[in-house]
Amino acid sequence: MSRTHATPVNAVDARLPASGRLADRAAFEAFRAAATRRWDDLWSVERMVVSVGVDSSSLAKGAVEVLAACRRELTGSDAVVREVSGNGALWMEPWVEIKRPGQPPIVYANIDPSEVPALLTGSLEERALGVRDGDAFGGIPALDDHPFFRHQERIVLRNVGVIEPESIEDAIARGAYSAYFQVLFEMSAEEAIAEVTASGLRGRGGAGFPAGIKWESGRKAKARPKFVICNSHEGEPNVYKDRRIHEGDPHRILEGILIACVVCGAERGYNYIGGEYPLAIQRFRKAVADAERLGLIGQDVLGSGKSVAFRVRTGGGAYICGEGSALMFSIMGVRGQPRTKPPRSVEEGIWKRPTIANNTETLANIPDIITRGGAWFAGIGTEGSKGTKLMTVQGPVKTMGLVEVPMGISLRTLVEDVWGGMRDGSTFKGIQTGGISAGPLRDDHLDIPVDFDSMTELGGMLGSGGFVVFDQTVCVVDFARYMTAFNRYESCSKCVPCRLGNPALVEVIDRIRLGRGSLADLALLERTSKHIIELSLCGLGQVAPMPLLGMMKMYAEEFRAHIEEGVCPTGTCPISVAPSALVAAD
Amino acid sequence: MSLSPSTEIDLAVVRDLLSHIRPNDDQEAQELILAALQEINEHFGWVSLAAARLVAEHLGTTENRVYGLLTFYADFRTEPRGKHFMLVCHGMSCYALGSQRLVQHLQDGYGIGDGDTTADGELTIQVVNGCLGVCDRAPFVKLDHDFHGDLTPDRLDAVLGQAFSRGAPGER
Repeated sequence: MSRTHATPVNAVDARLPASGRLADRAAFEAFRAAATRRWDDLWSVERMVVSVGVDSSSLAKGAVEVLAACRRELTGSDAVVREVSGNGALWMEPWVEIKRPGQPPIVYANIDPSEVPALLTGSLEERALGVRDGDAFGGIPALDDHPFFRHQERIVLRNVGVIEPESIEDAIARGAYSAYFQVLFEMSAEEAIAEVTASGLRGRGGAGFPAGIKWESGRKAKARPKFVICNSHEGEPNVYKDRRIHEGDPHRILEGILIACVVCGAERGYNYIGGEYPLAIQRFRKAVADAERLGLIGQDVLGSGKSVAFRVRTGGGAYICGEGSALMFSIMGVRGQPRTKPPRSVEEGIWKRPTIANNTETLANIPDIITRGGAWFAGIGTEGSKGTKLMTVQGPVKTMGLVEVPMGISLRTLVEDVWGGMRDGSTFKGIQTGGISAGPLRDDHLDIPVDFDSMTELGGMLGSGGFVVFDQTVCVVDFARYMTAFNRYESCSKCVPCRLGNPALVEVIDRIRLGRGSLADLALLERTSKHIIELSLCGLGQVAPMPLLGMMKMYAEEFRAHIEEGVCPTGTCPISVAPSALVAAD
Repeated sequence: MSLSPSTEIDLAVVRDLLSHIRPNDDQEAQELILAALQEINEHFGWVSLAAARLVAEHLGTTENRVYGLLTFYADFRTEPRGKHFMLVCHGMSCYALGSQRLVQHLQDGYGIGDGDTTADGELTIQVVNGCLGVCDRAPFVKLDHDFHGDLTPDRLDAVLGQAFSRGAPGER
């Protein structure tokens, strides 16, 4: 390859492997070898490699313009400019990674498009944040030594921010479809399920059901056809993990679904993606199209005699469709309203056929469990919660972002170290856990380990791993109203306790916020909550009052101040502002 | 360009969009109802009753069922949008950093709540209960194709003023 090549992208792509349908296992192995050589060349040849992290959060901050500026500046050179995905660190965005000849890849944070020329000519070195995937270099520390990355163990996120998400060659060079290859040719379904069971992997969508047990009953189900669903709806107001996997490493999710199909004997896989995430949908569809082109999806995959079909479906902005049965109804083109169980979905799911439904993150863990073994996975995490967990945070912390940490890390380490502690002017008041399905924890609870079981005694929950830190300016009564009003709006209206109970809760909370509450209202809130919890049909209804109950338990004195003293200590509620200001925002 | 949005969408375009949706069997046809509606909603910003009828006809189902979906899923609109369309993120990060004040300000200053269009037809807003995922720039809105973060009511006014003076984004 010439170092004076005029079209930089082609300089690398000249080594692209043939990209037609791969007829058999040898063809796949040859493709993988070629893709790996291309990847190694990219990083070893004496050439500048510039990577810009573009995902749904960084593109709102100008990452696309930064990428365009890099391409413009480097036109005519032999440099390679790559569009990778963000790496989860929202606080770094937009970031640019530059590998200069003879140097390791160095990441520069918070780059404005106007700064790109200076950045590329090397006169913006003071903005270097760290060296990716290596040791300190020339006074620049390793990125992995930064507190945000130091505690992370990246399995699911291993390729996120590293590969070009729209390149199946990049993904395969970094190991994609190797586990799929194994279950197609080298491993029986029983062996694969044994690894998943041995791994101790529990569902990452919130409930924590053991994945191995679900797969085993899915495999044993007799009716045909069978389906696998990946639940990528992620409709909670405080979680952004699954869309980041889609944006950064879509092939990992697709591989997990395909493995589930082969192992459980399902004819067709589905991925149901929330409609709010256009970039996630776009990149995942590209991944499916590429996998189809190579023959990794379709009839007689790689000559194995096994066939898998695939469909992508997208949601319409209804939170309830994250509930398993509602999601299946949505796929079937009806309103997403949950049904009573049993029958469970492994017995009767989509089109009344056995359906194995897993969360995105659960399936994204599968490839590594197959290639590295269940025992390896079980060596990470705690007794009851194995592996790593994606966690997201919102609120006034310094280094906000998505991280992947081993189960069992303390909440304090997460808040104070990984997420950098509170921003200037903010004092920690509490942390809402479990998305919108559990209660908050206070400063005196922060030393507990984060896993499926430890937080539940205190009324918290791991759930899907979405945390919200809030400070002294947030009124817990108002916060509880926000979350209860969310449930009121998002109730699917099928069953009475949820449909009427949540509006009733909001009414009572509003009475308190207006300064017209009485102590009897607190008892009324608890009683109504109990009815919703015990009588609602689906899992989402059954946990709807949990944030309110948690707030009432953890901050009882603040609720009482509204009622007994007629003041809102933070000055948020209408008690302390004009009476006309009570407008519902839901 | 007229200030008032048209009250029917171009059904020829709808037919063209639908012609690319070719289910192999009845089950697949049902699975594609939502997808068809999403394409129409994406293209026009809303789905009219006449368009819903075409979808029902094309996919072999009833217009009741199609309209039932349109009114269940929050992303669909059954009325035209204003010249500008703004998503107001009301996820928890935005809430914790003041999105409630923006929603209040839109109500007080512009007279619009979730799903409403201003009387002059300039602006339609949708309050997003989920999360748009740009949590470190909360509170956050997406106005037409542009993103604006770290908003206060005053900054929101400035952003809207600029958009109104620029006119509507081009037809896609």
